[in-house]
Amino acid sequence: MKAVFSTYLTGLSTTCKQIIEALSQEYEYVSLLATDSQGLSIRISQHSKNVSNKNLTTERGIVVRVYRNGRYSEAAFDDLDVRNPEAAVARIRESLAMQDALLSAVGSQTYETGVLEDEPRTIFVEKEARILPEKADVQALVERLSALSDRGMREIEGALDVFLSVSGTHISKMFLTKHQDLRQSYAYVEATAMAYAPNAQGETKVWYDGISGCGGLELLDGPEGLDALMDKGPRIVKELCTAGKVVPGEYEIITTPDISGLIAHEAFGHGVEMDMFVKHRALGAEYIDQRVGSDLVTMHEGALCDESVTAYAFDDEGTPAGDVIEIDHGILRTGVCDALSALRLGIRPTGNGKREKYSHKVYTRMTNTVFEAGTDTKEAMIASVRKGYLLDGMESGMEDPKHWGIQCIVSRGYEIIDGELTGKVVSPVIMTGYVPDLLGGISMASTTCKLAGTGACGKGYKEWVKVADGGPYLKTKARLG
Amino acid sequence: MEILEKIESYIGEVEHVAAWELTCLTEKRWEFYFIRHQLDQNRAVEEHTVTVKLYRAFEEDGQKFLGAATAEIPVTAAEEEIRHTLTDLIYEAGLIRNPAYTLTSEPVADVSHRETPSVSQIAEDFLRTMQEIPETQTEDINSYELFVSEMTRSFCNSNGVAYTETWPSSMLEVVINARTSQPKKMEIELYRMYRSGTCDRKQIAGDISRVMRFGRDRLVAQPTPAGLSLPVIFSTDDAKELYAFFAGRMLADMKYQKISGYEIGEKITERKSGDPLTLEALAALPNSSDDCRVDLEGSLIWDRPLIEADVARNFYGKRQFSQYIGLEKSSYVFNFRVPGGSESAEALRSGDYLELVEFSDFQVDDMSGDIAGEIRLGYLHRDGDIQIVTGGSVSGSMLEAVSTMAFSRETVQYNRWVIPAVTKLTGLRITGVV
Repeated sequence: MKAVFSTYLTGLSTTCKQIIEALSQEYEYVSLLATDSQGLSIRISQHSKNVSNKNLTTERGIVVRVYRNGRYSEAAFDDLDVRNPEAAVARIRESLAMQDALLSAVGSQTYETGVLEDEPRTIFVEKEARILPEKADVQALVERLSALSDRGMREIEGALDVFLSVSGTHISKMFLTKHQDLRQSYAYVEATAMAYAPNAQGETKVWYDGISGCGGLELLDGPEGLDALMDKGPRIVKELCTAGKVVPGEYEIITTPDISGLIAHEAFGHGVEMDMFVKHRALGAEYIDQRVGSDLVTMHEGALCDESVTAYAFDDEGTPAGDVIEIDHGILRTGVCDALSALRLGIRPTGNGKREKYSHKVYTRMTNTVFEAGTDTKEAMIASVRKGYLLDGMESGMEDPKHWGIQCIVSRGYEIIDGELTGKVVSPVIMTGYVPDLLGGISMASTTCKLAGTGACGKGYKEWVKVADGGPYLKTKARLG
Repeated sequence: MEILEKIESYIGEVEHVAAWELTCLTEKRWEFYFIRHQLDQNRAVEEHTVTVKLYRAFEEDGQKFLGAATAEIPVTAAEEEIRHTLTDLIYEAGLIRNPAYTLTSEPVADVSHRETPSVSQIAEDFLRTMQEIPETQTEDINSYELFVSEMTRSFCNSNGVAYTETWPSSMLEVVINARTSQPKKMEIELYRMYRSGTCDRKQIAGDISRVMRFGRDRLVAQPTPAGLSLPVIFSTDDAKELYAFFAGRMLADMKYQKISGYEIGEKITERKSGDPLTLEALAALPNSSDDCRVDLEGSLIWDRPLIEADVARNFYGKRQFSQYIGLEKSSYVFNFRVPGGSESAEALRSGDYLELVEFSDFQVDDMSGDIAGEIRLGYLHRDGDIQIVTGGSVSGSMLEAVSTMAFSRETVQYNRWVIPAVTKLTGLRITGVV
């Protein structure tokens, strides 16, 4: 069954094209992105229950991008009267004219940029989704999540509460220019489980896990679906509540796919977002075709890499989705790029121009960021460690494209001594280091990859978008504290 | 607002509605993006977030419940779409079994007549401020992004409470470079995010100058030594994370969920040294980006102590959780103040200590109290010498650190927070590099 494209947007397309035509009389380039994305969010715990049709990616609005005299400007509205193109054009003109007046008054100079190409292109994509989020059986989901929360309370020793959430969006986007008409419709779904319990010192310890993917609510079923989420909870909460602190120092580490993905994302994901190259904010620009990791490091980025929460057909600037090999056997080959940054750098865009929503600016953003698999087994990797930790459970990370530092906060470290897990757990673990050292130290990689797409990624401390990342188990060295 | 009136009239036709809340947040936003001082892009935005929440009351086994469901309705939604959403909502509200509570019925004062500068004027102040920042050959501005908004929130509920409030809200993201050519070519960057109501020219210019000095110092910083065990001083806006942890502990929902173990009238710590902590909720804070007099549920905010000299005094938060923990009156709080301590900033900076001024991302986990941050720049004061350091991390627990926390008499405002200019913690783990 297809995720059917928005009838609301279909109804606007003719007048949207008239707006583009009218604005093209005075601007050298005009594009229009219209969005109509409906969703669902259900959050259930012992203490509170919520149902809403709103989540991070639900939206309805229009953004118009125009180009004149070397400068790009945008006007975004959710109440633009598109059915009256003349009035809509007047409103867009007026809002930008007021800004022009201010920019002239303060003597602002323009970072001059060429005009975007407008090659004829048509795309119409409706991806598969059996149960769309807006068509969910809310009663069944509320009951299912409540039962899982109850199960968690029974099984997790000392649990103060167990949260379950399901969220999903049916995304419809229409991108139009004089020569392009691109329309896509797809859905994604994610579910998370979180439990918290106090340890003997009164500190609240939190466990979190999730599933996600491109498609409808049918993704919640199956052996790795919603019901399986709670399976690991009791063990992990117990580990967290009895965990010790790591003795600060450098260790051999093995990262689970979860943490491998975090490294991919923070180390070279943000580091090769090429809008940062334009601003000279990324060291990666100086290392193209140079070694940044061991031979085992091959890293892909692109919406085509996986059917995840960000598996779109074209990005928010109308560039078709891609699959870019950023690092090839340890050699940094290229980055990913939005359309304006590509124009400024003289390269082709890669389909990574994303907005938080219609009302936000496009930046170069990640989609699926993933290390390729290797040839080792997880067991052989653990057996090879003399003293170190198996790191699992992503909490947060922070990019540092300019200096290639890395900070990852990891939920748990499982001690390994002489090739065996000792049963001792440390938590939380702050992993820091220098990215080329971390990637250069990768000496083993497991045979299977896994991606995760729950949560959201910011650019600095804002502009939250859905991304997915992952990889195999990796063995390297890092500083833990 | 026309859309709110329209939705309200449709709600009247929906069965089983026990109560309702309607909110429209209108944001008129101007955005300017600069690379160096050249305009990368300008954007004009107007968006309306229309939220409707329907409540349904029911009783089971003698217990009263109040279910609620929330929807965002596009401002362009047609009548049929709105009616359909409301029908779905009241059904969904019936699936939610939350213990009963009430919506506010206290009328709020008229808050609609505050004078606020125009978006254009605020934007001009910011743009001119940035143009006038002194730069040098070795320290300059890489890029900045400016977001200036006029926010208007209109609210009404089924108890007849209604208000409209307008306030300015701004955000300036600045990336600063520092570089050197000797002994080798090196360039670093430092990041700042300033949030405020309008443009505080003096504060922004002053802080950017300080950040440029941090940049110069970071270029000559040495790796943080291993094995350090000494007090840590926080003197930048990262310090507000330390105090935000206590604001989290006083939230009604944290108390109801048993994450916060604080009890009214009881000490939050057995103080061993340092200054007793006081945390105040503020009804107003000039130039805060959330200088709002009324909360999101229509309750007027008022000044009150949350923690007073280490003793928990008042929880705060949403009506639902406030009533669950027995509060008769409550509101959410946007702005906070921590009054200064007994010693001057200079006095706190005596003896051996590590003053940390740049992190990649400094965090205090609001649930566990875990402190974590990778050190980008610090000043190690040891045996009368000052060593500039970088690398490694600091970690610890706020639950433990509070018992010896000391803070300066002098205070400083970081957007929604007024906090001591200098905060000193002991017992943190410092992971060095060498």
